[in-house]
Order: sequence, then structure tokens, then C-alpha cells
Amino acid sequence: MAAVTSVSPVAAGARWLARWWSRSWLFLLFFAAFFVAWEVLVDALEVPRYILPKPSTIVIKSSADLDRLVYYTWVTGTETVLGYAVAIVLAVPLGLAIAFSRFLRQTIYPFFVSIEMTPKIAFAPLFISWLGFGLLPKVIIVFLVCFFPIVLNAILAFGSLSEELTRFCRATGAGAWRSFVKVRLPAAMPQCFVGFKYAAINATVGATIAEFIGSDEGLGFYIQIVTGNMRPDLAFAGIFFLTVLGLAVFGLVTLAERLLIPWHISVRRAAS
Amino acid sequence: MTSIPAASAAIEIRAVRKLFGSGAEAVHAFGPSDLSIAPGEFISLLGPSGCGKSTLMLMIAGLLEITDGEILVDGDVVDAPRTDVGIMFQDSTLVPWRSVRGNVELQLELRGLDVAACRERIDDLLRSVHLDGFEDRALWELSGGMQQRAALCQAIVHEPGTLLLDEPLGKLDAMTRERIRTDLQDLWMRRRPTVVFVTHSIEEAIQLSTKICVITPRPGLIDHVIDIDLPWPRGLDARRGEGFVSHLARIQEIFHGYGVL
Ligand SMILES: Nc1ncnc2c1ncn2[C@@H]1O[C@H](COP(=O)(O)OP(=O)(O)O)[C@@H](O)[C@H]1O
Ligand SMILES: [Mg+2]
Repeated sequence: MAAVTSVSPVAAGARWLARWWSRSWLFLLFFAAFFVAWEVLVDALEVPRYILPKPSTIVIKSSADLDRLVYYTWVTGTETVLGYAVAIVLAVPLGLAIAFSRFLRQTIYPFFVSIEMTPKIAFAPLFISWLGFGLLPKVIIVFLVCFFPIVLNAILAFGSLSEELTRFCRATGAGAWRSFVKVRLPAAMPQCFVGFKYAAINATVGATIAEFIGSDEGLGFYIQIVTGNMRPDLAFAGIFFLTVLGLAVFGLVTLAERLLIPWHISVRRAAS
Repeated sequence: MTSIPAASAAIEIRAVRKLFGSGAEAVHAFGPSDLSIAPGEFISLLGPSGCGKSTLMLMIAGLLEITDGEILVDGDVVDAPRTDVGIMFQDSTLVPWRSVRGNVELQLELRGLDVAACRERIDDLLRSVHLDGFEDRALWELSGGMQQRAALCQAIVHEPGTLLLDEPLGKLDAMTRERIRTDLQDLWMRRRPTVVFVTHSIEEAIQLSTKICVITPRPGLIDHVIDIDLPWPRGLDARRGEGFVSHLARIQEIFHGYGVL
């Protein structure tokens, strides 16, 4: 790590690029091959455009609709990020409380475990009928699909400090707060991130389905409308933007993980 | 066993027994046994795995409830965690988010001590176990032996008068064990803390100890307390000496009698 300072940034950048390329070329090639095959097969099999358009058609046709796609990405992105953030802010402290309170473990915890079996998205029509087509019901639905994986992983995270470290803290006479800040919290981070990442994948799914059920903007709404208008090319464009949104959310969580727990084995393995 | 008056003993174990659980399913893990450890002694708890060595150590530290009997450390009955001892647990308490130095500092920080004021002490300690130059390394950059040395520094940086070491050399290869054994002996000879050292290596126990407690297989009972009256320091050559070999033979004989050797 220290050696990098003696090398010029350009050379370092070039080296990084070379490493990235050597790791990724196979994957990129596969990706490219997939789209080429799609393009060729649609032509060869004479699939009608209203069933399955070619990738080139999708790019050309949707570029006319770019403004709307970008705006709707913003709308769906807002719902996703708000619901997700509120879920993290509420679920982590609650998970912590449940991990440390016998009373909560015997009351709320079994309730949460059974709710975990309920597909949360099934509540979507209810929330939309109660709250209308606006932002709030979408945020609540994203919140619901994110909240449970985060809370359950947080309970696991805060409740599973090794016996050795627990004893170590006790033997030093450190109080609850000091042990928490210096040992329990950092030790819990990796398992918390398991929940954050799982929820990040759920988040865009929740927002999209909520929009399918009732909305007048957003990518889910867009995909539903253009499909109804026999425009699968535009639907694919919507799906593409949703994928970018999902990747962005997941990428941010992964970045946060790298910054907060660079010492964890999963992060170190991914980096090497 | 000759009994030493309570006042002069660093650690006094009186009819201590430990059961895990209760009723018919209770596991009888240790005792009842007595033991008196004088200040400055290096005492080994030697016995097969599962005989209650860790259990006894944790009870001395006040980290595990005693079922019957009582333990006194420096004349006080143990009824809460003893914060004045240094403990090296059987499993590592090094944390991966801190460097070697950071892990040593963790002991001080958890105690609310001023880390900056102890900088020199930490440097000296790390140097004494040949970890100088590795202070800022992450744990995963260290060999097993280095990690074990770092763990030792973490356990003793607050300069306790009593050390409880639970198989500190347990998971190491033979050559590394040899080296850390020497470091440990140097450290003890320099500072003369009272040491309770858990091991299942007979040779290690003979080389390091003033006394060896031979513990029977489950439930663990302190069956023999053997004085090791060999001259210090005890290096590799001491292990070929007549006295060493006869202790070794005697203890092997005892374990043979238990059916574990
Ligand atoms: N928390 C526990 N609950 C039940 N049994 C235990 C517990 N801890 C240890 N034991 C039992 O007590 C016995 C002694 O364990 P331990 O002190 O760890 O042995 P040693 O350190 O000598 O290998 C073992 O049989 C073990 O299974
Ligand atoms: Mg043990």
C-alpha cells in the first residue's frame, strides 16, 4: 500500500486498469455475446417486433423517450432510497434492543419471525387503497420489504458476540457503553451488512411492484403502460433503467461496506 | 498437600466444585479440589482435554460461577470478574478491525486508561516478544505465532500481578511453541507475576513451572501437585537433564495410570 506513493498516478491508474481488464474481460465478452446472439436470433427467427424487439431497436426507439425514462428513474429511485433508509434507521436500533432485551425477544421477536414468512408485497394493494397513488404508500411498501431482513440480521449480529470477547470485556471492567462502542458494534457490522445487502435487492423490487399496483409515475408504472400499448421495446428500456437503479443502490451499500469494514474477510476477498 | 496460610497465598482454591446445568443432566466438570498458589509462582494446570482446566481458570477470574466452595485472590473472595488479573483466553480475543498495537491498546481503552501515556510501555512490550516492526500490521498479515504473541501482549499490557494463561501455545507448531515458551519464561523471570498456565503438554509444563497440578480426566480433580525443582533458566538443554527426564517419566506414569497415555 505504501509503495504506491512512489509511483506516478498515471502509471498506477494504468496498472489498475490492466488488472481490472484481466479480471473482467471474460465477463464482458460473455455479456457482449449475449446481446449479439439476441440481435441475430431475433432477425433469424423473424420474431415480430411487438413480441421481442432487437437490442438495437430498443436503444433507438427508447432514446426518443429518454426524458421520461430519466424522470421516472428519479421517481422510483426516491421511493426506493427513502423506504430503504427509513428501514435501516428503524431496524438496526430495534434489532439491537431485541438482542439485549429478554422481554422483546419473547414478544416481538417471534412475531417478526412469523411475519418474515408473509410476502410483504401482499400488503401493497391495501396501502395504496388507504393512502392513494402518491409517494408515501410506495415508501411504506419499500420499507416493509427491507425492514425484516435488516432487523433479523441485526438481532443475529448484536446477539452473537463470541463468548471469549464477552468475557474479555467483563474482565476489563468496561461498562456496557464502552464495550458496545469498542467491541460489540464493530463485531456486529459484518452481519448487519448481510441484512443491508439483502434488503437493497428487495428495495427496487418492492418499489416496482408497488407502482404496478397503483401509480401515475415511476418506472413500474411506465413498464406497465408501454406493455399495454404493445411497445415491448420501451418496456425493455424501463427494465434497463430499473437494473441501473438496482445496481446503483447495491453498489452504494457495497461501497459503504468497504469503507466501514475493510477488515472483514468478505471485503478483503472481494478486493483481492 | 502442605497448606499455606491464606494471607500469603496469591490464589487460594477451597473445595471448589463446578457443575454445568442442574438435576440429572448436570455435567460434573471439576472438583472438589483444593489448591494454594504462592505469589510469584508459575503453576501449570496439566490434564487431558475436557478435564476442567479452562473451567477452573474462568472461576479464578470470576467469569464463571462456582457451584461449591470458594476461591480467594490476594485474600479476597472471588464473587465478580477480577479486573486486576491478566487473562489470555483459550480462543483469541484479538479483533480483526484493529492492528497489533490497536489490539494491545484495546485492553487499556476498555479499562478507561490513558493510551497515549502508555505508548512507551506498549512499544517495550511488543519489542520483548519480537513484534517490533509489526505494530501497525493487520492481524491477517501475521503468522499464528505472531498473533499468539500479540494476544499475550494484549493480556498483560495493564501489568497485572497475576496472569491466567489458557493454552497460550495451543494451536502452534512445535518450533514456534519453543520460541514463545522462551519468551514467556524470560517475561516471568523479569517480572515474577503469579502465573496459572493451562496446558496439556507435559514437557512444556516441566520447562516453565515451579509447580505442576496434575488433573484427572473428567470430572477433573487435582490429583498431584509436583514441585519442579530444576534450576532457571530452563532452555533446550535443560530438557535433556536428568531431573527433567525423571519428572517427565513420573508424570507420564501418572497419566498412563488414568488411561489417557
Ligand atoms: N458452558 C458449558 N456447559 C456445559 N458443559 C460445559 C460448559 N463448559 C464446559 N463444559 C464441560 O466441562 C468440562 C470441562 O471443560 P473445560 O474446562 O473446557 O476443559 P479443558 O479446558 O480442560 O479442556 C467438559 O466436559 C465440557 O464439556
Ligand atoms: Mg480448555
